[in-house]
Amino acid sequence: MDATTVATGSAASPEGDRDGFGQIEPAKDIVISGLRKSFGSTEVLGGIDLTIRGGDFVGLMGPNGAGKSTLIKILDGVYDRSSGQIQYGGEAVSKLGERPEVGFIHQDLGLVDELSISDNLRLGEQPMRRIGPFVDRGREREAAVRALANVGLELPVETLIGQLSPGEKTLVAITRVLERGARVIFVDEATSTLPPHDSHRLIEALKQTAARGATVIMVSHKLSEILDATNRVVLLLDGKIVADSPAASLDRSALVEMLVTREKEDVAQEATAKPRPAGGGKELLRLEDVKGGLIDGVDLILKSGEIVGLTGLPGSGLHDVAHLAHGTMKPRGGKVVRAAGCTSALVPPHRETQGGFLEQSTLENLTISSLSRWRSPVRLLRGGSERRDAGEVMDRLSVRPADPGAVFGTLSGGNKQKVVFGRALLSGPSVYVLCEPTRGVDVGTRMEIYKLIEDLASGGAGVLVVTSDSEDLFAICNRIAVVVDGRLGAFIEAEETNPQQLEAFI
Amino acid sequence: MSATEAVPATPVNPDSKRGSSAQRQFDLTKLLGASITFIAFLVVFLIYTIWLGGKFASTDARALDIHQNTPVLLLGLAVLVTLIAGQFDLSVASMATLSAFLVIGLKLNQDWPFALVLAVCLLVGVVGGAVNGFLVVKLRVNTFIATLGTGGVFLGLSAVYSKGTQIVAGAGQAELPSWFSGANSLGSLGEKFPAVLVWVGLGAAAVMVFLAFRRMRPARTEERRWDIISGAVVVVIAAILFALGLSNWVNAISWTMGVLLIVALVVWLLLDYTTYGRYLRATGSNAEAATLAGVNPGKETFKAFVLGGVLAALAGILLGANQGTASPGAATSFLLPAFAAAFLSTVILSTGRFHVWGTLIGGTFLVWVSQGLIVGGVPFTWTEVVNGLVLILAVAFSSVFKRRTT
Repeated sequence: MDATTVATGSAASPEGDRDGFGQIEPAKDIVISGLRKSFGSTEVLGGIDLTIRGGDFVGLMGPNGAGKSTLIKILDGVYDRSSGQIQYGGEAVSKLGERPEVGFIHQDLGLVDELSISDNLRLGEQPMRRIGPFVDRGREREAAVRALANVGLELPVETLIGQLSPGEKTLVAITRVLERGARVIFVDEATSTLPPHDSHRLIEALKQTAARGATVIMVSHKLSEILDATNRVVLLLDGKIVADSPAASLDRSALVEMLVTREKEDVAQEATAKPRPAGGGKELLRLEDVKGGLIDGVDLILKSGEIVGLTGLPGSGLHDVAHLAHGTMKPRGGKVVRAAGCTSALVPPHRETQGGFLEQSTLENLTISSLSRWRSPVRLLRGGSERRDAGEVMDRLSVRPADPGAVFGTLSGGNKQKVVFGRALLSGPSVYVLCEPTRGVDVGTRMEIYKLIEDLASGGAGVLVVTSDSEDLFAICNRIAVVVDGRLGAFIEAEETNPQQLEAFI
Repeated sequence: MSATEAVPATPVNPDSKRGSSAQRQFDLTKLLGASITFIAFLVVFLIYTIWLGGKFASTDARALDIHQNTPVLLLGLAVLVTLIAGQFDLSVASMATLSAFLVIGLKLNQDWPFALVLAVCLLVGVVGGAVNGFLVVKLRVNTFIATLGTGGVFLGLSAVYSKGTQIVAGAGQAELPSWFSGANSLGSLGEKFPAVLVWVGLGAAAVMVFLAFRRMRPARTEERRWDIISGAVVVVIAAILFALGLSNWVNAISWTMGVLLIVALVVWLLLDYTTYGRYLRATGSNAEAATLAGVNPGKETFKAFVLGGVLAALAGILLGANQGTASPGAATSFLLPAFAAAFLSTVILSTGRFHVWGTLIGGTFLVWVSQGLIVGGVPFTWTEVVNGLVLILAVAFSSVFKRRTT
């Protein structure tokens, strides 16, 4: 009846009615030369020269704040460039985003939750008309079914976008740009917020699209993805391209070496799963058959000095466990028992909407949860010591720019994550509830965050890591459990399992 | 070029500097972006001065503008507090009218002890604000509708109380206290605020500017050298202000204006230097993130409405002091300039942030722009048109400029 009847891949081309089948017409070369961009007095891009040949699958990597997103946004035309040239097929263009052959998938996908998949695909296009103003729904529907099959998405096209998983939404966004005739697709950190299953699907769809002749440029922090999918890796550091190699010539360790320049032995040690000695002191937090949100009965004990990891698919209620444990969600049933004087801090799962206060300063974002610490007897805040303490945390997490007055909204995604993490650190609670602590951060920072979390546990705190990234679990957790359909499976000692085994539970 | 060779030249995390490397850096573009509206206003006043000479550039005349405008500026602060929480309180002008009727009427008609009258006025402000807060926070009524409705009620109550007429002194036996209204009282321009207090305040402000500037030291500049530069900046600013007649200004501040300054000082400390202020800004910025960070947005919003109500009631009291009478709808026309002042604060010496001093400066500049036109022969009936246009122009102008610089 619906999409399932159309075989994946071999089906009609995204151009649908226009020319029938199969291959995408190869894209022309994109030549970027001497591209520079400054925000105020800070130079973000310092002369980018890059040629992307038609049919390339480029993985664009670099630490947080290296300028990856800025580069993509300039090419799209969201930002103006300070100087430099962009050519498409030998023709100088001011922005690639206005050409129909080029499509951009940003972290914000630009889909309307309240409309169906099919309506979202047509958004901004001329509707297919029957007579006069009446829309030919049947024809639009058929086109949508064909287009979805091309990216391997098997869903009724009437489904509202709001009901889709994040990965499915991204696939819809990709379908939409392909439908408009894109032959070059820029994908900016699309997988950083996706669970493994979804990002796997997305990567497969991108590989398939590339195999059909399109050029794909993908920004990602995930080494395995880059190695798996791309045929060329470009590394950006401090606004400059410092490496540009064929993916075939690289392996995981070479990539890590490219990305992390300091303390190589440290990284080598930590990049491999490092089981921690089982902690476990005083009991800090106990959930007894707690129900709430999507959760239908969870038992959990968190002890001092211990790192407990939870994982699961979106929709399993994974993040609701975090909210129940932190206290931001009132349980519908069951009991949450906290040790006397037990305080907790939360790193919320959705950085962009729940993370912070965009138009306020980094300082204000960092200290909001622990303000009483700097309150003087006359009830006013001690600005000096507040700035000093915040500065220490910013140093420790290497937040860039290193300016406590910088507006939070202008920080790169990874730096925002660091600030939200720093806020939890500053409040110094006995229990840390960390949702997706390494989402969207680069490899170097990831290692630093792992080390910090281990230090927190050694210092006597209890840490609950709630993540869809299994690398987090194996790097730092003592015990791991999987949330499936609102229930918690049995806990497994981290040493006694491996990623493949764990994925089977999910 | 091999990938591995290329890397060592550019370290990812330079952890080199001693102590905290995190500090605010001096940035001329940013500073200019924040001051551009302020400068544009000064240019307008310079043009007025060239055009009208002493008729415009007179300390006494311009101080009179501020004196008469004090209730509007106070309303601006009332609006500001709720705007920071992300709420529009449209009832403040009606609250001010109600409070003006109560302060005049309860004394002249009922002859209550004046301290009690003042307490009742402020209490009405608290209750009115609490009702707004309750409607918006607990019943989740849309803030526009809730405050439009309560505004109607407040204005209606003032009409019910006064039976729709003006309340004027002299008709009955009771009189307003001589310190409150009339010649040489709180409400008159003649009675000046102690200059020494103003000088102390200005001194403190100079020290704060110096310290703030000192913190913005660029990494490359030596510490002592930057201290000297910071000191020089403060001295230059002070010299310019003195050349523009700072001492005349200090001596021209009336008691009404003094009260405004004291209230502004308290609100400023509250908003920028207390946990409450931070919680309020967090609430207005992103209530969900605030909740997850441990803030209770409902509580902070409720408090903001109460504070707004009290400030509006105080504005009504000062209006009563200035005029000595209470007329139906006395403060109704203050709503637009009050909102204008609060919104101008986001573009005066600030980029996008509501703040107290910007509200006072913005509200004052707004009056001067229209007063200049009136002095120049434009009928005063144009005032509201000018207020509306200036608000839109200033905010539009700065958002265009902000887009340019980012």
